[in-house]
Amino acid sequence: MEQRLDVSELEPCEPLQRTLAALQTLSKGDYLRVIHRREPHLLYPLLEKSGFLWRTRAGGEAGVEILIWPQHDQTAERQALEYLGC
Amino acid sequence: MLNTASLSLDQAPPISIPFRFFLLAPLFGMVAGLLLLYWGEAALTSRWAPPTLALTHLLTLGLLGMVMCGAMLQMLPVIAGSPVPRVVLVGTLSHLLLVGGILALVAAFLIRADGLMELAILSLGSGFLVFISGVVAALLRVHAPSATITGMRLAIAALLLTVCFGMLVAGAWGGLLNLGSLSSLIDIHLSWGLLGWTGLLLMSVSFQVVPLFQVTPDYPGWFSRTLPRGVFLGILLWMALRYGTDHLGWPALLEALWVAVLGLMFAAYGGMTLYLQQRRKRRITDVTLWFWRLAMLSLFAGLLAWAGGLLFPAFAASPGYPLLLGTILLLGVAVPAVNGMLYKIVPFLCWFHLQNRQLALMCMTVPVPHMKAFISDRATKRQFHVSLLALLLALPAALWPALLARPAGLAFALSNLLLLVNLLQAVIRYRQTSQSLDRAGAETNSH
Repeated sequence: MEQRLDVSELEPCEPLQRTLAALQTLSKGDYLRVIHRREPHLLYPLLEKSGFLWRTRAGGEAGVEILIWPQHDQTAERQALEYLGC
Repeated sequence: MLNTASLSLDQAPPISIPFRFFLLAPLFGMVAGLLLLYWGEAALTSRWAPPTLALTHLLTLGLLGMVMCGAMLQMLPVIAGSPVPRVVLVGTLSHLLLVGGILALVAAFLIRADGLMELAILSLGSGFLVFISGVVAALLRVHAPSATITGMRLAIAALLLTVCFGMLVAGAWGGLLNLGSLSSLIDIHLSWGLLGWTGLLLMSVSFQVVPLFQVTPDYPGWFSRTLPRGVFLGILLWMALRYGTDHLGWPALLEALWVAVLGLMFAAYGGMTLYLQQRRKRRITDVTLWFWRLAMLSLFAGLLAWAGGLLFPAFAASPGYPLLLGTILLLGVAVPAVNGMLYKIVPFLCWFHLQNRQLALMCMTVPVPHMKAFISDRATKRQFHVSLLALLLALPAALWPALLARPAGLAFALSNLLLLVNLLQAVIRYRQTSQSLDRAGAETNSH
């Protein structure tokens, strides 16, 4: 299932902080769709360290969408990739 | 799909590199304020007076230069994905040489003892050589430069010119070279330093940090691509016109008109920044925004004073005029912009490094403080009010130094003391949390 998080109107470091907090509450099979106004380059190393995978694409409601799911959660991964049309 | 390559955190310099630059900056500001308090009127009688030169270089090299150099070493890996090679060596060496050089230069202006100016030239020259070489290597590796990177490249070129002309002037001042009249060389030195290095870096960094930290719309692409190039070419052409006016008998009106065009470019930058800040999505006013607005309004005040000097040559010829212009541009524009930026960069770096450490140790029992918890709003607002008071005293002090030079110096020293205390508050909070994380990490590993 998708969890949606809009951080497009927040100033640093709130987008990073809220994204990391939201990831802690993901249930099995869930992926997080983050709506952002720019690509969060600094988020990626933090995701790597905490064991998450992600895909980023331009577009969506604010300019950029990041889909994030736990590394070994295949259901979440399939759903996220389906959303992206992969 | 966007490029999702992650930034390697190993590329970013350790937090001690930018912090050693940032923490020394307010100390130089305090020394500048205390010098003005000590010298009083004598520091503001003419732009050529040794205490004035010492004061100016404490501000430009000490306060502003330290923050600008530290921020560049920190920002390049983040905004360009291109770290400065051997950043610890470059940061440590350039920091030591620059600090030594600034102290020697200030002492050379004030004491005029043998060997001090030579030491200053050698130390500052080699410090900037190390810094510029490292930054240029990083900037040249960027294959698809953004407007910010292009602006930074031009700013670094301007810094190189500023340093070269500065060394020539310092050599002549110290009696090592005989260059005849120095006034044209000094004008070239300060134009490249103030409009080129400082102006272009402020402009190009704001293309990134204003939309990012103040949640404004982006600067229009054509604007951010064109303006830094226009300013750089504008200064070059101005130098050519100045030479033509002074030596080839070209009409002075030509130079005056071109200076007006250059001024309009800076006005466009200030106007666009204020317009974007007015359209920010999240309408919470914080102290950084106050600093930035003060900087942009001072930019317009500086342009008005500049235009006043062009229209009324008698006003421009008075000894107070260059001091007034310098005060507006340095204390009104550059210092508030840099000061405001520090209040975003320092807490962000503290938070980011701690967050990274927490995840590396997988130690969630120690919470990382929120960015706003590193420096309190009350403390930053108090410092803003004191810095505003210092500016409001320094502006008339340029025209009536006997009355106001000392109060302005005291207020400026106090403002920098408060800035230092605020930055130290963030560093202490950072160290406390970092130590708690290390302890908790060690306990986890031992179980």
